[in-house]
Amino acid sequence: MAARLPGLGAVVAAPLVLLARAVDPPLRWWQRVAGQGGMAAVFLLPNLAIFGVFVLVPLALNLVYSTTAGTGILLGGRSFVGAAQYARLLECGDYLDALTCREDMFWTATANTFVFVVFQVTTMVAVATITALILNREIRGRGFFRAVFFFPVLLSPVVVGLIWRWILQRQGLLNLIMVSLGLDPEVWLNDRTYAFAATIGVSVWAHMGFYTLILLAGLQAIPKDLYEAAEMDGTPPARVFRRITLPLLGPNLAVVLVLALIRGVQIFDEVYVLTGGGPGTSTLYLTQYIYEVGFASVLRNPGLAAAASILMGLVLVVLTLCQLRLSRRGAARDAK
Amino acid sequence: MSRALAFLTRRRGHGGRWHWTDVVTWVWLLGGTVLMFGPALWLVASSFKGPAQLAEFPPTLLPYAQIAVPVAGHDAPLPLYEVTGPDGTTRQLAEIRRIGTNAQMVDPAEPGTRLDVDIAARRPVREVGLALDNYVRPLVANDFLRFLWNSVFVTVTATLITLLTNSMAAFALSKYRFRGRDAVMLLIVATLMVPLSVILVPLYSVVNATGLVDTLWGVILPTVATPTGVFLLRQYMLTIPDELLEAARMDHASEWQIYWRIVLPLAAPALAVLAIFSVVWRWNDFLWPLIVLSRRETYTLQVGLNTYAGELNVQWHYILAMTVVTMIPVVLVFVFLQRFITTGIAGAGIK
Amino acid sequence: MGRIALHDIRKRFGATEIIHGVDLAVEDGELVVFVGPSGCGKSTLLRLIAGLDRPSSGTIEIDGRDVTRLSAAERGLAMVFQSYALYPHMTVRQNLSFGLENTKMARDEVARRIDAAARMLEIAPLLDRRPTQLSGGQRQRVAIGRAIVREPAAFLLDEPLSNLDAELRVTMRAELAQLHARLTTTMIHVTHDQVEAMTLADRIVVLRQGRIEQVATPLDLFNRPANLFVAGFVGAPNMNLLSATARDGRAALPGGLDIPVPRDGPCTIGIRPQHLHPAEPGAPALEGQVTLVEALGTETVLHARTPDGTALTTVVQGQSPLRPGQTLRLTPDPHEIHRFDADGLRMDDPGAAR
Repeated sequence: MAARLPGLGAVVAAPLVLLARAVDPPLRWWQRVAGQGGMAAVFLLPNLAIFGVFVLVPLALNLVYSTTAGTGILLGGRSFVGAAQYARLLECGDYLDALTCREDMFWTATANTFVFVVFQVTTMVAVATITALILNREIRGRGFFRAVFFFPVLLSPVVVGLIWRWILQRQGLLNLIMVSLGLDPEVWLNDRTYAFAATIGVSVWAHMGFYTLILLAGLQAIPKDLYEAAEMDGTPPARVFRRITLPLLGPNLAVVLVLALIRGVQIFDEVYVLTGGGPGTSTLYLTQYIYEVGFASVLRNPGLAAAASILMGLVLVVLTLCQLRLSRRGAARDAK
Repeated sequence: MSRALAFLTRRRGHGGRWHWTDVVTWVWLLGGTVLMFGPALWLVASSFKGPAQLAEFPPTLLPYAQIAVPVAGHDAPLPLYEVTGPDGTTRQLAEIRRIGTNAQMVDPAEPGTRLDVDIAARRPVREVGLALDNYVRPLVANDFLRFLWNSVFVTVTATLITLLTNSMAAFALSKYRFRGRDAVMLLIVATLMVPLSVILVPLYSVVNATGLVDTLWGVILPTVATPTGVFLLRQYMLTIPDELLEAARMDHASEWQIYWRIVLPLAAPALAVLAIFSVVWRWNDFLWPLIVLSRRETYTLQVGLNTYAGELNVQWHYILAMTVVTMIPVVLVFVFLQRFITTGIAGAGIK
Repeated sequence: MGRIALHDIRKRFGATEIIHGVDLAVEDGELVVFVGPSGCGKSTLLRLIAGLDRPSSGTIEIDGRDVTRLSAAERGLAMVFQSYALYPHMTVRQNLSFGLENTKMARDEVARRIDAAARMLEIAPLLDRRPTQLSGGQRQRVAIGRAIVREPAAFLLDEPLSNLDAELRVTMRAELAQLHARLTTTMIHVTHDQVEAMTLADRIVVLRQGRIEQVATPLDLFNRPANLFVAGFVGAPNMNLLSATARDGRAALPGGLDIPVPRDGPCTIGIRPQHLHPAEPGAPALEGQVTLVEALGTETVLHARTPDGTALTTVVQGQSPLRPGQTLRLTPDPHEIHRFDADGLRMDDPGAAR
């Protein structure tokens, strides 16, 4: 591949080569003036500039939006309200009943997301672990099967949503199977429970291949001689799994768990296409709530959306810190 | 055949006997194959069915098209039906026009005689055939060609900018010692925690303030400074020996030349991985384009598909075909470059 | 031309100073070898001369011009790296031409220089290969070739032979010596291998912990080591070092030996293994039990231990009938004795001084 790439690259990069030659003389001059430190700045500048404008500035602005009120997106037309947006989000008559809350949709979305994440992550980790264990066996066509489970990962969420909407619709494939098994057909996505289950199933279907790969890499990093030593000792397979595989896979499992949590909390694209949050609000999750309050609904309220997104962001920061800790620990273990 | 089967099912270490775990393995793998590929195959098969066939239940597995036959006295070929007569006999007739619940039909063998047939008493004659019109019409008559072009533009441009800016930053962060380097690294790590969904509102206001709303650049620019890309490339560039750079410095190379002529070519494998990822990411992007793009001319394929699929009267035959079109680049990546991506994920845990 | 002068060069990394004020002048056309144990600062010193690192203080002159603040490229030197640092994505020819093209040299001049270098180093058939397709020795030649085409004021070689196997190292060493004889360009060669240093150098610079211990021709270094460190570092097997205390101008060694010393007080007597000979029966001698016999064929290295526990090494020509456990009686060649004072510095031979 490395040998093939320059050929391909040469064609694509021909205009870029000219550009690179053209910028050399001024940069040489700058290097003489500013030294290596100055050149480091040149190399960092484009990335940091884009980064600053499109990540850091919005990050700071998010606080501004969440503490101001108004329907406009322009800052000039907004008035400072302090923590009122947060208070509005968090105000509730009875915290166990979303309908008694001032922003009942926020609480519905939060509750939905929570239940979704619990079921989806559990299913995901279980399915991915089983698949990884199976793919780690010495089977024929392992590369092929690994690819099979990875295939949906590459599909766009919109495509995933449409594929399953088509399968779950009234005249869809699932109902064909139901009928041929002698069962009654259903309009799956019109039923609150089925629709909720569908969002879990579809998101597991779409992403499990990714987690399977991470776990498989972890399994393959376990030294073979440990298993051979256990075999010499006559250790039964179940015990080998419990005492060797699981502990050594532990760090990878933890990383997978946290990654799945982080992604699960932010679920939007495929669900939005599959159910649109419905029927009713049964599959309305947090990101969709933020999107609709901030952009889509008639009563748009960017300040409220910003406040909600900051609350979600706090959860994500905690989860990400967990993940960084875990992967650093994993890296430290690998380094040993 | 049986030898092939024996070859496929041969396993090491069990002396040829089937253990229950082998059964589970193969059920899981074969079931998984059906479940993973099945939906996409069903989509492809359905995308070649005409609107009438799509509305049928139970659906057929393969796409069929109604046969049309040329009849003397008519310019266009006429659709063929099998008509059951009152006496129970059946014959094949072509439809000239439909009037209410009846249809005026003709036997292709005797073009002179017109027959009046109740539409309940006839069935279309079909053969396996592809409704290619599903693909042609949305591309030609609707805006899908435009969406396709927008998606290609966004994907290619964003990937090129990503490769350039990320590799430059990674070069500085891996090969120079300068004050504030650790701070920059920390900043990049920190922003890993800030997914798009957290900064939707202010990001939109920034894009709005820069006049990029409703332009493809408004989709491209916020996505190109990926911390993941900087990380991936930096890790790789750390493995390039510093002596090479020093040799180049002794060889009168400027720092820019060192980046361009030495480091970039040597980082080609990592750049390839990032390029593949970036293409898949940008092609699949949905939420951000959905927010930024509100004029139909600027839609990407994903946004266009969602819009058409969200209409009250969904034209599934077009949607399905366009979904297949949207899937094609990713399937190509899957078929030819799957190994790169899987090693990229296994190695760096990125997605 | 290539006269390189260092004046009071110091280098600090953070708080730790690793080069403590080095003064050195390398004459034009000279082949100077920096030698010393790992961590002595020899590679750092070379990188300072190359311009890859900047000294914390002090000046570097090339042909009388102060180059301390100039970048590596502007100093007109060429370097051969320990790992060769050949650009792996370029052919041998591109590796050679890269530096010349950067100076905007005319095409035919580039071609002429590459041809000349390729002929001199016998790498012409390899010009269109990539470095990964070359053997270690071939890569080494290409790395040297890349330096030669630059026609530099001086060559800097950073342990260039350390990645080769023993046999090839000997061959390449000889080739390097021939190359220097042909080019007559200044060369600074860094190595930790004293044999390499002794065989190649016009002058050797022995470094330890960021300081120059001695600068001398190879034979001077062997015959008149300036201090204990150089005495122990140069020559194989290592010099026998015996502690003694001098009284009345004489230091007594075990076995009744008596060595004249210029100054009284604690001192160290150094005797190279080659200069210990079997003693006449009855004469005063260093006596010890043989502990190890290394038979190398043309010579034999004998290790022994005196009754007070001092280790002795000697080399005898040809093959020795001695076995471990047997007794060995040795007497030093009186003209080949080195004397070091309490600070480890060389004391002049009182006989020579008289």
